[in-house]
Order: sequence, then C-alpha cells, then structure tokens
Amino acid sequence: MPEGPLLELRGISKRFPGVLANDDVNFDLRPGEVHALLGENGAGKSTLMNILYGLYTPDEGQILLHGKPIDLGSTKAAIEHGIGMVHQHFMLIPVMTVAENIVLATEPRRAGVLMDYDAARRRVRELSERYGLLVDPDARIDRTSVGQQQRVEILKALYRGAEILILDEPTAVLTPQEAKELFEIIRSLTGQGKSIIFISHKLNEVLEVADRVTTLRRGVVVDTIDAEGATEEGLARMMVGREVLLRVDKKPSQPEGALLQVEHLSVVDDRGLETVRDVSFDVRAGEILGLAGVDANGQSELIDAIAGLRHVSAGRIVVDGRDMTNADAKETLDAGIGHIPEDRHRRGLVLPFSLTENLALHAYRHEPNSRRGLLNPRAMTARARKLLREFDVRGGAPATPAFALSGGNQQKVVLAREIDGDPKVLIAAQPTRGLDVGAIEFVHRRLVEQRDAGRAVFLVSLELEEILSLSDRILVIYEGRIVGEFPPTATEEELGLAMTGGSQGKAA
Amino acid sequence: MNAVAARVGGIGWTHPRTIGIVGIVLGALAFWLALPPLASRTAALPVAIGILAVAAGIWTFSRDERRVGGGAIAAGLLGIAFGVLATRSSSTHLDQVVVWSALGAATLRYATPLIYAAIGGLFCERSGVINVALEGMLLTGAFFGIWGAIWAQSWAGGAAWLVGVGSAALAGMVLATVHAIWAIHLKVDQIISGFALNFLALGITGYLFIDKYGDTGTPGDVPGIPDVHIHFLQNWYFVGPIIGQLNLMIWLSFVLLVGTYILVFRTPFGLRLRAVGEHPRAADTVGISVYKVRYVAVIASGAIAAMGGAYLSIGFVHSFNEGMTNGTGFIGLAALVFGKWRPFPTWGATLLFGFSSALADRLPNAYGNQWGTLFQALPYLLTLVAVAGVIGRSIGPAAAGRPYEKQ
Amino acid sequence: MTDELSAEEAIEPPPPPDGIPQPQQHFRSRFGGLKGAIAPLLTTILAFFMGGLVVLLTGKNPLRVYKAVWDGTGLNWFVHVGHHSARVPFGTAHMWFPWDTASIAAQNLQQTLLVTTPIILTGLAVAFAFRCGMFNIGGQGQYFAGTIFAVWLGSSFNGMAPWLHVLLCLAVGTVAGAVWAGIAGILKATVGAHEVISTIMLNWIAIWVGSYLFGQGGPLQNSAQKSIPISNDIFDGAKLPVFWGLKLLQGLSIGIFIALAMLIVYWIVINRTTLGFEVRAVGFNPEAARYGGVSVARNYFLAMAISGAFAGLAGAVDITGWEYRIGQNDIQLGGSSGIGFIGLAAALLGRNTTLGVGFASLLFGALINGTSGRQLDPSIFRPDLAGNLTTIIQGLVILFVGLNLGGVWVWLKRRRGA
Repeated sequence: MPEGPLLELRGISKRFPGVLANDDVNFDLRPGEVHALLGENGAGKSTLMNILYGLYTPDEGQILLHGKPIDLGSTKAAIEHGIGMVHQHFMLIPVMTVAENIVLATEPRRAGVLMDYDAARRRVRELSERYGLLVDPDARIDRTSVGQQQRVEILKALYRGAEILILDEPTAVLTPQEAKELFEIIRSLTGQGKSIIFISHKLNEVLEVADRVTTLRRGVVVDTIDAEGATEEGLARMMVGREVLLRVDKKPSQPEGALLQVEHLSVVDDRGLETVRDVSFDVRAGEILGLAGVDANGQSELIDAIAGLRHVSAGRIVVDGRDMTNADAKETLDAGIGHIPEDRHRRGLVLPFSLTENLALHAYRHEPNSRRGLLNPRAMTARARKLLREFDVRGGAPATPAFALSGGNQQKVVLAREIDGDPKVLIAAQPTRGLDVGAIEFVHRRLVEQRDAGRAVFLVSLELEEILSLSDRILVIYEGRIVGEFPPTATEEELGLAMTGGSQGKAA
Repeated sequence: MNAVAARVGGIGWTHPRTIGIVGIVLGALAFWLALPPLASRTAALPVAIGILAVAAGIWTFSRDERRVGGGAIAAGLLGIAFGVLATRSSSTHLDQVVVWSALGAATLRYATPLIYAAIGGLFCERSGVINVALEGMLLTGAFFGIWGAIWAQSWAGGAAWLVGVGSAALAGMVLATVHAIWAIHLKVDQIISGFALNFLALGITGYLFIDKYGDTGTPGDVPGIPDVHIHFLQNWYFVGPIIGQLNLMIWLSFVLLVGTYILVFRTPFGLRLRAVGEHPRAADTVGISVYKVRYVAVIASGAIAAMGGAYLSIGFVHSFNEGMTNGTGFIGLAALVFGKWRPFPTWGATLLFGFSSALADRLPNAYGNQWGTLFQALPYLLTLVAVAGVIGRSIGPAAAGRPYEKQ
Repeated sequence: MTDELSAEEAIEPPPPPDGIPQPQQHFRSRFGGLKGAIAPLLTTILAFFMGGLVVLLTGKNPLRVYKAVWDGTGLNWFVHVGHHSARVPFGTAHMWFPWDTASIAAQNLQQTLLVTTPIILTGLAVAFAFRCGMFNIGGQGQYFAGTIFAVWLGSSFNGMAPWLHVLLCLAVGTVAGAVWAGIAGILKATVGAHEVISTIMLNWIAIWVGSYLFGQGGPLQNSAQKSIPISNDIFDGAKLPVFWGLKLLQGLSIGIFIALAMLIVYWIVINRTTLGFEVRAVGFNPEAARYGGVSVARNYFLAMAISGAFAGLAGAVDITGWEYRIGQNDIQLGGSSGIGFIGLAAALLGRNTTLGVGFASLLFGALINGTSGRQLDPSIFRPDLAGNLTTIIQGLVILFVGLNLGGVWVWLKRRRGA
C-alpha cells in the first residue's frame, strides 16, 4: 500500500479576467491509479490541467510531487518532472511520420549530426510493444486514424519519461471500438506503474475506467469519491446540479403545422467524420424546440446544414414545404430561416462595421436599403435607429463600430437583425453565451415573443436551465444522434444523463 | 481507389503516378524529337507523341493524381505546340539555335543564381516565414559581392573574389535580419515587409553603385570567381563543353543542393525546422524555440541568396548594373513553389527555367530578337499554371506566413 | 468554442482555414478624421529622416538635397500668391488668377501632377483589392495591359473622331487591366490560388509580352523606324486634351481630372454600393459575410477585376495623356519599380482610404518628379542618385507602414497619462 499520494495539488486558485476558473481546488493522485476529473464545459478542468502541465501559473496554492513542492513554470519543467499531457487537440505534425513526431526535439543521432532513423524506429517499437500501443513508426500522421494518432501522443509522453499522464477528453474523437481499446491501454499502463488523470464528461466511461472521481463545478471541487459503488445518477447530480436561476414567464404553446422538417439527416464534418447521424425532427410554428447536448456532439454541423452553410450527405431539410436541402446561405435566408450564430464575433458580426451596416448584413440587398445596387444610407440609418431603440441596444449610435459594444448589446444587434428579417424559422445557437443576467433575460423574452407570434424557434444551447425554461419540447443529442425527447418538466439529472450517453444504460 | 499495381521490380508500372511521369517525359520527347540532332521534319510525330502524353495525363488526373496528371497534360500540349513549331522552321535555323552543348552550359549558368535564391527561400519558408525578398537579397549580394572584390583587390590579389563572396553573404544576412525582426518579433505582414526590402535593396544598391561607380561603371578587371577546369573531361564529345569548365559557384550549388537535402531531411536540425514551419505550437510544446529556429532560417536564407547574387556579378557577367537581377529572384521563388519546397524538384524547376532562358538567348541567332523576348515569359507562365494546378489546399509549410504568438 | 475576444483581437479576421495568409487589417484606421492621419504622417517623417541619413552617410547635405527636390516638385507654386493673368483653358480669353500659371514652378507642378495621375489610379487599384482582403501586387502588369491596348488602338484608326478615339483607348485599356487581374481573381475564387504569386507571375508575363510586341521585329513595333524597339505614336485624335501648359512640352492633360474622378468613383463604389458593402464585409470577416449570404468567391473575382480596371486605366491615361508611345525599354524599366509598385506604396501609406490615397499619391508624384533629371540640379545632387533615394524612401515607407505607428503613438500617450 503506497504511503502517500504521488501528486498533490493544494489550494489551487486561478483567475482570468472576469472569471474565477479554479477556486481553492484540492486534488491528489495516488501511484498506479486512474483518477477521473469530471465536470461540464467551463467547470475549470482544462485550466487545472494546464496549470499542472506548466502552461499556466496558479495565483494561489502549491503542487507537491512525492511530497515535495515543485515549481512548474514551463512545459519543459513539467516534462522533466515526469508529467505528460495528451491534449484534446493533438499536437502532431501531419506531414511527418509517427517516429519523427515522437522523437522530435530529443532525436537519436548518428555521427553527431545526422538523424538516426533506425534507432528512432527501434525505440518507438520497444515502447510500443512494452505498453501495448501498436503503431507503425513509418506511417505519416495524416494517413493514420485518430485512434492511432492518440496512441502516438501517448507514446510521445512515455518516450519523454512520463510517469503521470493527463488525458484530456481522450474519447471525444474516438469511435466506440477505439475507446474500448483505449481503456485496455490505460489498464496496461497502470499495471506498469503509471498514474493517469482522465478528464471527461462521459459518465459511463468514467465509471468503467476510473478508480476515483473528482467532480468540478464552476471552479470548485464538489467531491472526490471512489468509483466503486458510484452511480451515473449520482455523478450527474454532482456535475450539473444547481439552483434554477431564471424561469421565463410564458403561456403554454399552441403549435400548429411544422415549419422546419429535418428527415434522416446525416452530415459529415471537415475531417470526413460523420458528426450528424440520421437525425429527424420537426419544429412547429408557435413552439420552441430545444436541443440539449454537450459541446461538439454534432450541434454545430446540424445547424450549419440547416442554414445552408454545409453540405448534407444524406437526408432532407424542408422549410415551410419547400425542399431546402443543400441550398446555399443566401437561398436559405430568403426562404425564411433566421440564424443567430453561436459565435457572434466570428460569424455573427463584422466587428469593424458600424451597427447600421451589421444590421443590414442580410437586408442590404433589398429596398429600401438599396436600389439597383446603390445603397441608401439614410434609409439604412433610419432603420438602424428604429431597431436599436426597439431592441434597447445600449452603448452606441448607428455609426458606432460593433466592436465598441459590450457582448450583451452585440448579441442584441444580431437578434435585431435576424428578427427584423421576419423569418419563419429562427435558429438560436448559444444565444446567451457570455451575457449578463439582464441581457439573458432580454434574449429569452424575445425568443418567447417570436414563438408567440407564430414562428418556429429552434434553440440549441449548452445551458440546461435555459433549455428547460424556454423549450416546449426538448431533444437531446449525443454523438450525432437524437437519443431522447423530453417534456419541459424533465429534471436536469434526466437530461444530464442522456447528454452524457447514460440513458437506458447505453454503453460507450 | 489506387490502381492495383503490377509490381515489377519494385516499381508499380501501372501506378497512376508513374503513368503521369511517363506522360511528362513523352511531352518533352515530342518537342525534343523535332530538334537536332534527330530533327524530325514531320509534324505528325510530335503531335502523335504529344497526344499520347495528354492521354496519359488525363488518365492520371482521373485517378486523383491531379498534379502529375496536370503536368503531363501541360507537357503534352506544350510538346505538340513547340514540336510543330520546330518542324515548321528551317533546319538551318534549328541548327543555329539548338547547339546542345552551348545550351547545356548556358542552362547551368542561368540556373545557378536561381538555385541559390530558391534554396535560400527554402530554408526561410520551411521555417514558416514567407520570403518575397529573394529578389532584393540577390541584388544585394550582386552589388556587395563586386564591391567587396574590388575593395580587396589591392591586398588579396587573385583571391579577392573570396572577399567578395563573403561580403555579399554578410550584406544578405543584414537584409535578412531586418526581415526576420519585422516578421518574427514585430509580427508585421511578411509579404509587405518582403516587398519593402526589395525596394530598399534596389534603392540602396543603385544609390551606392552610382555614388561609387556612377560615371564609369564597375572596373573591367574585377577578379572573377574562377572556373573549374576539368582537363580530362573538357574534350569529351558531348559532356565536355557543358561541365568541363563550370564556374566554381556552379559546382558549389550542387554541393548546396545535396547539403540542403541532407540538412533539412536527414538531421535533427532539419526536423525541427520543418516542425516549426508546419505546426509551431506542437514544436513549442516539446520545447523547441520557435523564434530561434526562425531567426536562424531567415538569416541563413539571406546569406545563401546573396551568394547567388555574388555569382551573378563576379562569376557570370563580371560587372554590376542597377537592378541587374531583373526579376531573377521571383523566378527563384517560382521555382521553389514549382518544386514544392523540396531541393531536388526545385533544382529541376531551376533547370527548366534556366533552359528557357538559355534558349531565349540563342533564339535571336536565327529568328530575330522578338521571339527570344517572348520566350522569356515562359517560366512565369509555367509557374502560373503550376500554382493554378494545386487545387484548393495550400502545399507549402502549413504555418507559413502566420506570426507565432508564444502563450 | 471561443472565448470573448477583446476589442484588440476583434479587429483581426479569424485565421484562414487553409493556411494562406491574409493581409493584416491594420489598414483601416481605427481613428476617424484627423487622428487617422497620425500614422501615415509619422511613417512619412520617419522614412524621410532615414533617407536623409543615407544621404548624410555618403557625404552630402540632406537638407540641401531635400530643398532642391522640393523646388523641383512645383509644390512651392502655391506659396507665391499675387496678381496674375491666366489664359482660360481651351479658350483664348484671359482672366485674373492668383498664381502665375507660366512660371517655372508652374511647369514643375504640371509635371508633378502628370506623374501623380497614374499613381492615384494604381494606388486605387491596390486599395480596392486590399478592401477585399487581397494583395494585388500585379498593378504593374495590369498597367501595361492598359498601355498596350491604348497604344495599339491609339495608333490605329487614323481619322476617327477624337472623342471616340480617346474614349475607345481608355475604355479598352480599362477592360484589359480588368481582364488581366481577373485571371488572378478567378484562380483565387475557384482553386484558391494565392493572388500574390499569381499576380507577380502575371506581371512578368505582361512585361515580356509587351517587350516582345514593341521590340525589334515585334508585331506592334514602329513601322517607320525598324531599328528602335518602340511603338508607333498614337494619332493626335487619340490624345487627351492638354489644359495647362503646352502639349509639346508635356503640359498637364485632363488625365488628372480623370484620376480625381476615379477617387470619387472609388469612394462611391466602396461606401455607397451593395458591391462595395459585400467587398468590405468579405475583406473584414469572410466567415460572417458567408453567414450573411454573401458569395465570397464571387467577390474575390470582382474585387480583383475592378482593381485591375483602375490600373489598366492608369496605363491608358498615361499613353493618351503624355507618353503617346511606348518603348521596350520603358517596359523593362518598370519591372521592379514601376508605377504599379509606387501605387502599392501609396495605397499602404494612404491606408486604402480615398483621401489617404490621394495625398500619398501626390507625395510620391512630387518626390519622383522632384528627383527626376528634368528638375534636379545635378550640382546639388545627381538625379540618378535622387531616383534611387526615392526608391529607398518608398521602401522605408512600406517597411514602417506595417508597424502601425499611430497605434504606438496612442499607446505611448496612454502610458504617459496612466
């Protein structure tokens, strides 16, 4: 039985402008254990691990290795102390081989100047066999599967002598089969004395592979428990449970015909992976359909496909009776789809443009904003003034550039533009991300207003309370599939379970 | 999807890529057959072979080897065009122009400054810093090379050219250092800073040239970089005139090519260089200093490109004139792009461009000045086609042009 | 998922997905009005200062040199106000005028404005492309496209009605420039070929084709003098009317008004048309533009074509305005430092705005004229030295422009105040 923890984080606090990412966090790791770090997006997991890997310095607290305090000022220091990290987004060079990526910066040499490829290959094969991580040293990274790339990343850390491995959401990019193989590898690694920190939000996997589980919520440690005897429901409660802040006052909905019909839709992402799998649903006039799910489970690609920004590989999209599958963005807008994008800085607004211009981003083509190709600035400004007043946008006049506004007001501008376009279907993707309470309330009220005016509102959000408070129906998406439909009276635990693949005892 | 290869002797004979390369060779053949010494007079022959080349190209293209396929189609079409043109002109004219030994020697001479410029560019761009200032570096080397040689004449005598090459390299490094600071630390747009340096080099070399040698030009007795005479080769039938008395710098350029290949693809330094150019953050996370590698690469590129300029002024034309490089640096850049940032394909591109310059030089012998002039446009046209042929994805080092922010 | 961006980062467009670099968007000054002129002013002063250092280091007096250059520019014409009598343009009557229209300074000013004209146009070419986020380095080649067609058409069709002849030359020259740039635009829009490489290649292709056309034995070579590689002169009917000075002494044609009109056209297109709206949106944030339904590829093509049109017009205006012919030599000389490249400097210095490009073009026009062999007294400073000095200053300007000195100045002020 080991005497004390191998690694200890005591009282770690880290503050970024506007947010306390880690608040007096205590965490320890025993030799040979798999310790899972659980939490939602923004809970502080990545920050904590980045501190451990030397990428950030903590504002308070200390880190002890073998009982002695250490200073981790850089990744180099972390590597020297035997800490290795496998990032969620791989740090591999696509055009180089597996062996080259692994030995980079600590290359074996021949005659002092030349690279000894044979020695590199040998060493890689040795490691590969010792830990059961089968890779081909001469394969180019961009021709290997994601699962293999992950093994390369792990080998990279092991090659540099890592005793502690941090795996950041390792199964996020794996197929179920590859995930199983990964768990085998983890068991093999711990069997050989390595200790592993496993960051995840997938409850079933956590229970399968971890010895202990620490849950973080909003930068604070909720609890550290043994995995043995824990249940998914219990973990979900720890992860998402919080008091409900806002419940919007709304009349019961009276939905009519479907304005948006999605039938057996499949979408492939930029890497060629199918991220939306056989999804079907309707959004009816006069209702708000909420889509709940953890980030990167296919929501972005789904919305892109509906908005005409991404190609569809299978299935149909019908808007008010018209087939709009694979239409482009302009046709989709004209057909009556409004889209509040999830990233207002990158996709929603042209930040150096004035508010007038941003408000006219769709409407500039039509009268009275322009005629025969010539803009009518007076009409545009008048329209802008009206919209800014209607939507209570503060912090600027029509001529103010968009970057000068606060996040909440920027979002109001986006909202104003979309709603003024009189859409039949309004897609709202993360509409209140980064907003203060007042702005959130405003956005929510507006969405309900639209729904009452007979529009179909499709709300996609990572915030469960937002989904629960606004939606008339709730769908949950997990790994590209719709895994359940719930009424707005569902509990957060039920939704949380479905969102993390835990409903109906579903395995990875 | 790839054709199942009947692997004979280790080479996949029906592999699309091989067919594509065969197509390119056929295209060149179509033209060559119409030239002396074979000098086929029937237009049918180049047309027939050219069509074969185009067919091979189309087949290769449809098998997803777009670049090689496109190259074969282009080679086939050009082969037909030039082959037919050659069969239509008189044999005496052809004999006057196409003297292979003279063409070969001239090709090497024209290609050499391109090689230096392109290799210089290779180091710089492989580290992720775009270099459009090759023209300026070449010109700087040309001026400071001859200036150094003249200055050293009094005390170094016949070896003054060494001082010239040295001062050229030094001047090139100074220019490159400015580019490095602007691109790496000040994070200014690299294309703009490159162009600014081109203008600066043009202005400064022109200014200093006129100030020192304005009325009389550079002296005629500047010690040039010596030729290497290989006596036993010089009288060989075909090869003799071409490589029997090449300039030292030309031999050095071969060494440079091989050395660059080894350095960039067979040493740890080269691995790190390429890593920094492809994925600087990945390199950073394993402890490589991205800034340091980039600085070394950019400054080295200045030295190498400037040496090519020194060859131009004290090895080739033995004088200096304002703006004498006249776009050679850009052809070098084109050769680098054409050669996909690898030393040997780039060398092939420089030979191709050198050949077209050599041919353009000789065309006036028989056909009049104007055709020689028009032919000078060929390297640029070829590069344009090559750049267009890379459909969509950028093929250079993935992180080229983006300044690195250390977090 | 991205975090909130600070206002600083917000100005930068998101990194392109395919690795091809985009020009930094520092060029739209964040400070409107007069404050926006700070950076260009600082840049210019710094460049001239360093140019003066170069002069000093080679043993000459920079102040005397700059004074001599200034005198040659003709800008000092405005300084002497008095009572003079001037001939009404295109007429014979005389009228009162505060400046002496026949003085040496006046003639110098004519020359300056003559040189400024094409710089304004090539500057607009570069600026328009920058507004769409693209580098048009091919202004020189597009200029030559305009030149070639203007000379060719101008020296054909003897006896055509003058207004028609001039219009034809200008129109076709403009279209030629648009087509030449359009090639690069199509390549970028369809296969994503980077416009820097394609426009540079097109430059040199145009230079060599032009050299071929007007060289010895070339198809458009002078029909009378077969030994000189030069084109035919254009007919009198194809020449732009000269309104100030004598035509035989290279007086100022109405080309300057065409250039000024194009400044206004540029402003209108960029700020008051739907096309300009789309171009600017794509230039600032192609992603958001795409989300708004704008066709990014179409705008890349159109922006390059319009950009080339400006440059082609510059070539045509120069031919019909004062050059009247083109020689192989002129084409070769323009290869590395011709009008197209000066336009690049002017656009960068002028931050791609209408007023900026206008003033920056005047600056460079004055500088080039003031250092030319006609104007500069060789005993003070050799004109060919002065020409190189101009190139040095040009290079320094471009080098410093990217540093966003205006931002540095404001930052310094803030630090002192904090």
